[in-house]
Amino acid sequence: MRGLAPASATTVLERQRRVSSALWLAGIVGIMFVTLILLGRRHGFGLTDYLQFLVDGLQAGAIYALVALGFVAVHRVTGIINFAQGAFVMLGPMLTITFYGQPLPLPPAPRLALAAALAILMTAGIGAAVHRLALHPARNSSLLTRIIITVGVYLILQGAALLAWGPRPYVLPAFTTLEMGDRSFLLGDVLVRAQSLWIWGTAVATVALLAAFFEHTILGKAMRACASNRLAARLTGIQVDTMATLAFVLAAILGAVAGIVVGPVTRPTFSMGLEVGLKGFVAAIMGGLVSFQGAVLGGLILGILENFWAGVTLAGFKDLFAFVVLIVLLLIRPQGFGGAEEGEGT
Amino acid sequence: MSGRRFVALAVIILFLAVFLPRAAAAHTYKIGFIASVTGPGASLGVPERFVARMLQDRLTGQRGIVGPDKVRHAVEIVVFDDQSSADVAAGLARRLIEEEKVTVLVAGTLSGPSLAMVPIAGEARTPMISMASARAIIEDPATKRMRPWIFKPVPENLHSAQKQAEYLSAVGIRSVCHLYENTAYGQDTFASANAIYPKAGISIAYGDSFDRTGTEFPQVARVRASGCQAVVIGSIPPAASLINVAVRERAARVRIIHGHGACSPDLIATAGRAAEGTVMPCGKILVADQLPANDPVRAFDLRLISDYRVSTGGQPISTFSGHAYDALSWALAALRTLPDGLPLPAARQAVRDALETKIVNFVGTHGIFTLSPEDHLGFKPDDFAVVTVKGGKFVILPRNQWK
Amino acid sequence: MNTRRLSADAVGFLVGVVLVGGSAWLEMSHPGGLSLARLTGGLLTLDLLIRAGVFTIVLVGLNLLMGYAGQVSLGQAGFYGLGAFFSAILTVRAQALGIPSSLSEAWWWPWLLMPVGAFLVGGLSYLIGLVILRLRGHYLAMATLGLGIVVFIVLRENLGLPHLNLTGGFDGVFGIPRLRVGAFVLWPAPRYYLLVWTVAFTAIALGLNVVHSRIGRALRAIHGSELAAECLGVASPNYKALIFALSAVLAALAGSLYAHFQAAVVPATFGFVPSLELVVMSAVGGMTSIWGAPLGALAVLLLSEVLRTQMRVVFPAVSGEFEAVAFGLLLVLMLLFWPMGLAGRGARQFHRAAWKKEA
Repeated sequence: MRGLAPASATTVLERQRRVSSALWLAGIVGIMFVTLILLGRRHGFGLTDYLQFLVDGLQAGAIYALVALGFVAVHRVTGIINFAQGAFVMLGPMLTITFYGQPLPLPPAPRLALAAALAILMTAGIGAAVHRLALHPARNSSLLTRIIITVGVYLILQGAALLAWGPRPYVLPAFTTLEMGDRSFLLGDVLVRAQSLWIWGTAVATVALLAAFFEHTILGKAMRACASNRLAARLTGIQVDTMATLAFVLAAILGAVAGIVVGPVTRPTFSMGLEVGLKGFVAAIMGGLVSFQGAVLGGLILGILENFWAGVTLAGFKDLFAFVVLIVLLLIRPQGFGGAEEGEGT
Repeated sequence: MSGRRFVALAVIILFLAVFLPRAAAAHTYKIGFIASVTGPGASLGVPERFVARMLQDRLTGQRGIVGPDKVRHAVEIVVFDDQSSADVAAGLARRLIEEEKVTVLVAGTLSGPSLAMVPIAGEARTPMISMASARAIIEDPATKRMRPWIFKPVPENLHSAQKQAEYLSAVGIRSVCHLYENTAYGQDTFASANAIYPKAGISIAYGDSFDRTGTEFPQVARVRASGCQAVVIGSIPPAASLINVAVRERAARVRIIHGHGACSPDLIATAGRAAEGTVMPCGKILVADQLPANDPVRAFDLRLISDYRVSTGGQPISTFSGHAYDALSWALAALRTLPDGLPLPAARQAVRDALETKIVNFVGTHGIFTLSPEDHLGFKPDDFAVVTVKGGKFVILPRNQWK
Repeated sequence: MNTRRLSADAVGFLVGVVLVGGSAWLEMSHPGGLSLARLTGGLLTLDLLIRAGVFTIVLVGLNLLMGYAGQVSLGQAGFYGLGAFFSAILTVRAQALGIPSSLSEAWWWPWLLMPVGAFLVGGLSYLIGLVILRLRGHYLAMATLGLGIVVFIVLRENLGLPHLNLTGGFDGVFGIPRLRVGAFVLWPAPRYYLLVWTVAFTAIALGLNVVHSRIGRALRAIHGSELAAECLGVASPNYKALIFALSAVLAALAGSLYAHFQAAVVPATFGFVPSLELVVMSAVGGMTSIWGAPLGALAVLLLSEVLRTQMRVVFPAVSGEFEAVAFGLLLVLMLLFWPMGLAGRGARQFHRAAWKKEA
């Protein structure tokens, strides 16, 4: 089978199209940055300020990227857009805070690590339950029906969180200092928070682990097979339904990790999943919902765009500008930034 | 029809049949209470609902209130959640007025839902006491006159801005940055600042909104670039804490001034050290133990704080609980003036008139209220205390220490 | 023409007219002290039925777009909001725009604004549609999502012109006048109820007409396979943009009706979550059926209302929170039992098309 056709057949026309769209992209991005810099000069911004926006944008972007990975994981295997992903992101830090507050005979650092591990485990279990109880029974329904079911699941999880934790904001200690206040470094005049390093590190490690999982483990390859062609996968003996549950477990883990690592930078509360879930969804779409790398790129772009726009113009409009830019980018390159990934099976 | 559908329909009909509304006892006064218990307003609405329940327990224990003719009336506070949505609030207001036949509405945690309920209460000639802060709730912006059926015991951002301007002038600050959260409340603080500060000779060098759920605040770069002497923040915790921390990180010496919405134990819990030294106007209830002994509000508030703690199992008081308590107290005071046997429309009219005329030197959580046909608020800027955060606690900052 | 389908629709209209007319008469004359609420245990109110009617109008458009044409829209509340604010601004803030009050306070002015606003929104959405409907599937979803959010932000930020204070920022516009014909005011509620449902039934008739017409067949062809349809000469981009515009027109019209009902409009009513709620209503009602529009609107609104009134009885302490959980739970259950929506029975044929079903 292998020698019959190359994995990604690129004709001359395809390559030309790719080059031209890449040029368009570069052009748009270039013009946008020049505009932003010109706008910024009105306020007397210097290089330091722009670097600060970049650093801040990379932090926000890394978070969106982590959340987006969860969307991609579920979509690749089941085709569903999991609107409950934001709830997983919320459950991670909230559960961690609850477990951390328990009187365990451990010093703070291992106690936090243990609390986080327990929270991730529990969220993974909730993810599995969500799939088994709400989505598996609907496996023969249309895609949209299953997507709306995930909306219902989000409502349930957020409502349950409100019951369990109330509406007040909580505090997750920063990983470096193990208290609310965080350490920060000055690189030149640019402020970098210690937690940002944790966020970036987690994002990089997660992407690497995901790539290794999907490329080199049997389980990962089996999940990819389900994404490519469900019927064929089933015919080769892969338990498609189990793979779907595992995809949800993976998404729950990814979401919880994202939430835990961003928790110290914000103040976790029962409704934190909504906004960050939406941004993660947008980032995932930029990657075509099938590409992990594309989702990460999408997340980073979104984060940087937001910060720049907020800094040089009115912050109230930053989402507007970010969305307009993203839509323009999609119009130029409708297949997203997926790169040469396998498509979503026919 | 398929079998499944029939079963489901039957279940629904059974459900409805079982839960028909109970007939209220005769002479029961109903107060319709609508708070935003879920949604973005939850951190305000939940404390308000605690107060409603606390008062309901108290009323049940006292077996209701007694009118001027010695007739005893049970009081039922009907509690609903408007989910922070103007639509739901409007529907609930209509339901309370028409189906539940309430005599008075205590409704509206947030300004949006409150404004949606205002025309409904007015058309239905039912008095409404709101717990939200926007001026437009009680005052018609076109005619600048009080809406006849709407009242509120909640201070406005205009008052907060006045107090802030007083403080800023006294310490010699002429140029400020104003950062507000991207909600109705935040936007209103900015509008109030724009209205009040210039008259006090204070200019806003840079004003912008910030994301309530944001993790990065590029606005701080603009703050530094603008060279303002102080940063005024119009927000409530946790958003107020996050921006507070962000400003402190990058500009360690600039003064930070909050609005009255940030005066809450949540601010200190979520901002920590970054909140030290910040100054803000504050409702008296948050610093009741520091009020002078001859202030009647002090004793009133201290008693309420301990009752609240007992009733809620240890929750600290918040300014929003205070607003709910004041609103319900006004309603109860007005109901107490009603003679027995009034038909509902007359009862509603009587409550409205009582609110305008009988709430005089009325001790409340945030001050001493006096209502009149020209003033459905009764709150004055001096009812605010100016506090600072010292050692993780709110401490009153007397005028002679403003520097 | 399929006579069986025709008579099924006719029955639907008959039943609808009887129910609406009957309930309006009940609420206007209250024979024997009865009212809708009394008959249904406090559940049905005119407020709920009017809102259901308004949503029905939006959902007819949404079902045509999503169910028949197969184009996802996660930003429909944006068009709904544009219609609402158009009516609101040009009646309440007319002075700020230099419109003389002899015009803005005439009884026919708000009536004129409704089709004008709908037409403008329709035109705008047609142009936008020609551009973004090139995208497919999830990308289109995101583009419509972005569109809805852009509209929301523009409304909430006062169109970027705070001194004119046109949209009122976060607090929105209030004091919108009631509709009237000459001296006859379409208020109190029963009169407005009749108006809203007249428009709703007209919209349903329009939707059914589109479905049974050449346009409807073209849409189904596009939904089935856009490539094949184009090979057969169906000018796919135009049809898609046309339906997109039609759905926007209906949404804007519904928005205007909403504005004159609520008398106050706030931007928060037209954000992303309301758009999602519309999609949920569409799915619950059955998005491949025009009759799914009223069914979905009524089902979701009734469900919320039941929970709101009955949860208080069962869980007086934490009713609000339980409502949220219960609503999500019941939504999931409803979709598990009725995956094609309440009206899904007659629409099975359309489901074999573009939505991928698992083998």
